[in-house]
Amino acid sequence: MRELSVIEAVREALGDEMARDERVILLGEDIGKLGGVFRATEGLFDRFGAERVVDMPMAETVIAGVTVGLAMRGMRPVAEIQFADFIHASMDHLVGEAAKIRWRTGGDWSCPMVLRTAYGGGFRGGPYHSQSVEAFYAHAPGLKVVAPSTPADAKGLLLAAIRDPDPVLVLEHKRTYRAIRGSVPEGDYVVPIGKASIAREGRDATVLAYGMMLHESLAAAETLAAEGIDVEVVDLRTLLPLDRETILASLAKTRRLCVVHEDTVTMGLGAELCALAAEADVLDVPPVRVAMPDIPGIPVDDNLEDAVLPNRATIRDALVHLVARERTRAGVAARAYDPGIPQASSLIEVALSPEHTRVALDALVSAARAVPRCNATFAWTGIVEHEDVVVDLDLGPASPAAGRGTITLVDYGPDGSDLAIPFVRPGQTAAVRIGAVRNGRAYVACAVDHRAVDGADAGRFLAAFKSAAEQKRATPSLDRRATIPMSP
Amino acid sequence: MWRLARAGRAHFAVPCSGHEAIGVGYALALEPGVDWVSPHYRDLAALLVLGMEPRDVMLCFFSRPSDPNARGRQPYAHFGSRRLHVLSQQGPQPNHCSHGVGCAWGSKLLGDGSVSVIAFGDGGAQKGEVHESMNVAAIHQLPCVFVVHRNGWTQSVKRSDQYATETLVARAAGYGIPGISVDGTDVEAMYAAASEAVRRARGGGGPTLIDAQCVRFMPNTSNDDDSRYRDRAEVDALRATGDPLVRARALVDGAFAARVDTENEAIAAEAAEWAEAQPLGDPASVLEHAYA
Ligand SMILES: Cc1ncc(C[n+]2csc(CCOP(=O)(O)OP(=O)(O)O)c2C)c(N)n1
Repeated sequence: MRELSVIEAVREALGDEMARDERVILLGEDIGKLGGVFRATEGLFDRFGAERVVDMPMAETVIAGVTVGLAMRGMRPVAEIQFADFIHASMDHLVGEAAKIRWRTGGDWSCPMVLRTAYGGGFRGGPYHSQSVEAFYAHAPGLKVVAPSTPADAKGLLLAAIRDPDPVLVLEHKRTYRAIRGSVPEGDYVVPIGKASIAREGRDATVLAYGMMLHESLAAAETLAAEGIDVEVVDLRTLLPLDRETILASLAKTRRLCVVHEDTVTMGLGAELCALAAEADVLDVPPVRVAMPDIPGIPVDDNLEDAVLPNRATIRDALVHLVARERTRAGVAARAYDPGIPQASSLIEVALSPEHTRVALDALVSAARAVPRCNATFAWTGIVEHEDVVVDLDLGPASPAAGRGTITLVDYGPDGSDLAIPFVRPGQTAAVRIGAVRNGRAYVACAVDHRAVDGADAGRFLAAFKSAAEQKRATPSLDRRATIPMSP
Repeated sequence: MWRLARAGRAHFAVPCSGHEAIGVGYALALEPGVDWVSPHYRDLAALLVLGMEPRDVMLCFFSRPSDPNARGRQPYAHFGSRRLHVLSQQGPQPNHCSHGVGCAWGSKLLGDGSVSVIAFGDGGAQKGEVHESMNVAAIHQLPCVFVVHRNGWTQSVKRSDQYATETLVARAAGYGIPGISVDGTDVEAMYAAASEAVRRARGGGGPTLIDAQCVRFMPNTSNDDDSRYRDRAEVDALRATGDPLVRARALVDGAFAARVDTENEAIAAEAAEWAEAQPLGDPASVLEHAYA
């Protein structure tokens, strides 16, 4: 099958449908001789003439308004709003009129119109040429909102939109126009409105995405596959009405949800999708949203824009944490490790008596005081060093770690092996393991979260531990601030 | 209707007293079932001329689900009928202007020779919607007629706080289209003006703006209290010269006029009684014609 870019697929759909149905006319700014600022209508003016490819005044209210009127009159108008950033001048006609006409007349009138617009950032367009507007319009019952991410869907959804008896808003991510190519069937076909598709199958978590973020999510999923995490990626394709069936079926399988959108987070589509999952009670752990922070616009500066737009790296990190989250539901085995934590480790030999728990705890507290980075929590936003040392003691299967605390100490006693490297638990930056004591000596291993602590610090930490333990100054009571969490 | 709404038997009344001749004038100039109308909400008279049944008007007034205009979903005066070629009307004023322009555009593209009338108030005319609509209609020489009911009030706001000119007809020149000033309380003059504009539109001569002066004798709607901003005596004084019904009665034999009045009152009373007795909506039906 031949390959097209998204913009070529859009252009093909428009041309094909104009040839097939005389009622289809195009309206918009600069769509005639120029072919649209993104060239979606390139060649159509020459092919169909000024009567059917109409350059409109720079007046978005009337572009939408006459489109409503043309549709009520029985035409099949397709209007283009040059940038989604300018669509709100059309909102009264989209939300106040088009969306309501069928309902408010009990079906006497309908409004079979299409409004296409280019949205999304990632190309230094600044606050007024980059916005995502889907949340406003997906909140308008009576509208249909589609957001294709592949060339095949761009064509099939647009054809479906033009043939739909009701108003459809087509959101085209402008970065997909040329960046995304793919095979597109020749000839006539439609992609049904209201149907999501599984872009990638997986078991460990579900990503819900659309537009350019679908492609970033797929890239993140590829990276994670190499790390042993198997992510399912659902391409929503239609944002209103949502394909609840496909979404919930995927979540029922993976039980973990990550929503990705370029739109800002608060009141964004992610909120609805998380609510949908919560109401259906299909998640084992809280969902995550990877989205733009709540800022009024997308900045134009390279560094600033890159910092606010979600991308494959931020999606990957979110997924690693999502997959690592302990399941909160009863009866589901805890997974208290995070495969996303990159570990460094260090080893030292320490003179210890077989009865050394108190000594080891005290030594651990002094070592934590000496190297506070090892008694901390890592987050991408910063590392938090804890004032209190709360040791989570793992004494073997009969008395495992409680899953709370600021540092983990693993000590299987004489039954344990001589040497093993512990894993760093989520929320902590270090874990220490004392091997079996042989002839008054034991290997003590320390693993650290390498994002927060480097290997040299792990070494310093162990040195401090050794010196405290070998002084054998078992203090009468534990440091006032050192506590051991109670068993669960 | 006014009395019934005030008595709490219906939710909402929109009086048209003072505006009747405008609707009658333009509706008579149209070919029913062929031409299209995006009416002003005070254009009940036009709808009756176009063929809306009094019982249907009353179903709309009582917001019954059997109302062909709005099926119990919109309040009274949000008219619409595919059968009568009346575009479905809405709350945000006057969004129907661009819809009417789009409809006229459809007529041009389909080449069926039909004309669209687009009517709105002088308050509505201050919105960008109307400017954008007239501009597009002029650019493409669309077969439509803009009719502005210039009663000088936008609910409680007087003319000089809405626009700085005395009349609106000069705006036509700004779009390069003809403008006609007419006494909108004179049904014959209104009919003549509308006929001229409709003829021009049908002949491919493009849009016309008709600036029809009139008086709003009643409050804005049944929810309005015009005593807070208008002098009732002053308004009533205008009845003799500015009430289109008074003026129309003078054109015909007095006994005939009296008979028509009596007949109409009986028709309205019967229709109201009948419509009020029609059932209210089934709550389950609220989801009909919705999807999500
Ligand atoms: C967009 C919008 N704003 C406000 C209103 C409330 N409103 C309804 S009628 C009206 C007065 C309109 O005056 P005009 O257009 O002059 O028509 P008239 O009532 O005088 O016939 C107002 C303010 C509305 N319906 N729509």
